[in-house]
Amino acid sequence: MSLLEVEDLRVTFDTEAGPVEAVRGVSFSLDRERLAIVGESGSGKTMTGRALLRLIRPPGRISARRIAFDGVDMMAASERQVRALRGRRIAMVMQDPKFSLNPVMRVGDQLTEGLRRRDRMGARSAREKAAAMLEAVQIREPDRVMHAYPHELSGGMGQRVMIAMMLIPGPDLLIADEPTSALDVTVQAEVLAILDNLVRERGMGLIFISHDLRLVSRFCDRVLVMYKGRVVEELAAGRLEDARHPYTRGLMACLPRIGGDRGPLPVLERDEAWAR
Amino acid sequence: MSALIEIENLSVTFRQRGREVRAVRDVSFSVAARESFGLVGESGSGKSTILRAICGMAPVSGGSIRIGGAPAATGRAFAARVQMVFQDPYSSLHPRRTVDATLAEPLAIHGRGDRDARVLAALGDVGLDASFRFRYPHQLSGGQRQRVAIARALMLEPEILLLDEPTSALDASVQAEALNLLSRLRVERGLTFLMVSHDLAVIDHMCDAVAVMRDGAVVERLDRATLADGGAQEPYTRQLLAASAYAAPV
Ligand SMILES: Nc1ncnc2c1ncn2[C@@H]1O[C@H](COP(=O)(O)OP(=O)(O)OP(=O)(O)O)[C@@H](O)[C@H]1O
Ligand SMILES: Nc1ncnc2c1ncn2[C@@H]1O[C@H](COP(=O)(O)OP(=O)(O)OP(=O)(O)O)[C@@H](O)[C@H]1O
Ligand SMILES: [Mg+2]
Ligand SMILES: [Mg+2]
Repeated sequence: MSLLEVEDLRVTFDTEAGPVEAVRGVSFSLDRERLAIVGESGSGKTMTGRALLRLIRPPGRISARRIAFDGVDMMAASERQVRALRGRRIAMVMQDPKFSLNPVMRVGDQLTEGLRRRDRMGARSAREKAAAMLEAVQIREPDRVMHAYPHELSGGMGQRVMIAMMLIPGPDLLIADEPTSALDVTVQAEVLAILDNLVRERGMGLIFISHDLRLVSRFCDRVLVMYKGRVVEELAAGRLEDARHPYTRGLMACLPRIGGDRGPLPVLERDEAWAR
Repeated sequence: MSALIEIENLSVTFRQRGREVRAVRDVSFSVAARESFGLVGESGSGKSTILRAICGMAPVSGGSIRIGGAPAATGRAFAARVQMVFQDPYSSLHPRRTVDATLAEPLAIHGRGDRDARVLAALGDVGLDASFRFRYPHQLSGGQRQRVAIARALMLEPEILLLDEPTSALDASVQAEALNLLSRLRVERGLTFLMVSHDLAVIDHMCDAVAVMRDGAVVERLDRATLADGGAQEPYTRQLLAASAYAAPV
């Protein structure tokens, strides 16, 4: 049995202009490995991640033939059961960290809240644990950051605080939505090493949502390529050059490179047929 | 002729619980009209703070910022000249305003006509079709929000664009379209860019020169040729470059 099994996942939003089908029949399974989801802006990556945690707000609707996490039927589970899993066994690093953090609560209080309430840890040890996690994600002045409000952090610091917060409870499945998009390569490497270590040593499952093909080809094991709500291709991460789908192949050509000529970058000619 | 953007010995100091956070320390650089200048550097090194200081949104504790020879000002005339695309579009877009209202607002404030046509054209420019026009920010994906933020900055046809990681939320294909749009507008309208990105390939593609920041200070300044030839001196810049080269196209 895999850690996570997803069959025919769909997410639909009813809007005034009619239904928007954000996810249209996604199936995959995940073991204790690093699975990447890549794809165009708006292709349904975030909604796929949120649906796994049943975090789609009305008027959004989720349907699936099956979502099973470690044997638990997530579609049939009660809201209470799902809440007990969320954060503790399944965590999600949100794409907009600063927006997802509580704006009127100090970072330190947010980081220690779960430890104190759920794990009944004392104030002192909870703060020590939180500070250690901030240091692990390369926050230079953990003490200052613990006292800061989210708006007092830089973009990349907010991202790392969010990662630290999700890692503190030691989840079995981490869904990381563009977790390093605001980080420069040096800090990014450190953060990826932590995630990598958790997968290897602790057997955590990782869903790594990203638009950065070069990054996922180095860092992940497998890649799902999404286009307009569907998975159009699945590849071994190291073999992106063997991609068959014209969307995946086209993507590589669009990237600027150092020393390249500065003419317009190639863009994709999207084909209606890709969305079918 | 003097440069369009002149930053001299700029320092920005925040106060946090009585403690000083020196986010920008004694930074100087200038950007000529029609030039595109890049800022790169470590997370937390002060890049966004510099852009915010130019817009009058950060506590400047020393030095000066001049635009076209005059002290940078706030207010309407300044806004029409200088526009910023913020790093996290979620917090810069009003949650209860539709895309349409967000894009039309600057037009109304500055008394520009042709509302509907301009809104639709701006959406088209960033690759969003008319079906997005009446959505709220929470009904958009991350990259779609980012594109609305870019479109909004372009509504007033500013002379200077301050771009904070404008494409870091976008996949390669949409990034290529956004960068092509920005490059085209720069040529057509003679725009000046000051752009932050952690992606050196994007900086190299878009910028004529770049300053590398660390811990609030500029540690190195490079023109494009030096960057491409691997002429960077600072260990931190070389580290950045090495990691980017590793990430060369497969
Ligand atoms: N509340 C909503 N109502 C209507 N449509 C929505 C809503 N929320 C999301 N969508 C649409 O669902 C689609 C998928 O969104 P999702 O956020 O999953 O994209 P994504 O792949 O994560 O993109 P990005 O890379 O830009 O973050 C998008 O086209 C988006 O506009
Ligand atoms: N309002 C504020 N109050 C206190 N400190 C702040 C505030 N805004 C920013 N800072 C601090 O200033 C420093 C520089 O932040 P800035 O946002 O400019 O970094 P950055 O170079 O843009 O980083 P990133 O690449 O992560 O976005 C950080 O240490 C940050 O914590
Ligand atoms: Mg997303
Ligand atoms: Mg920043």
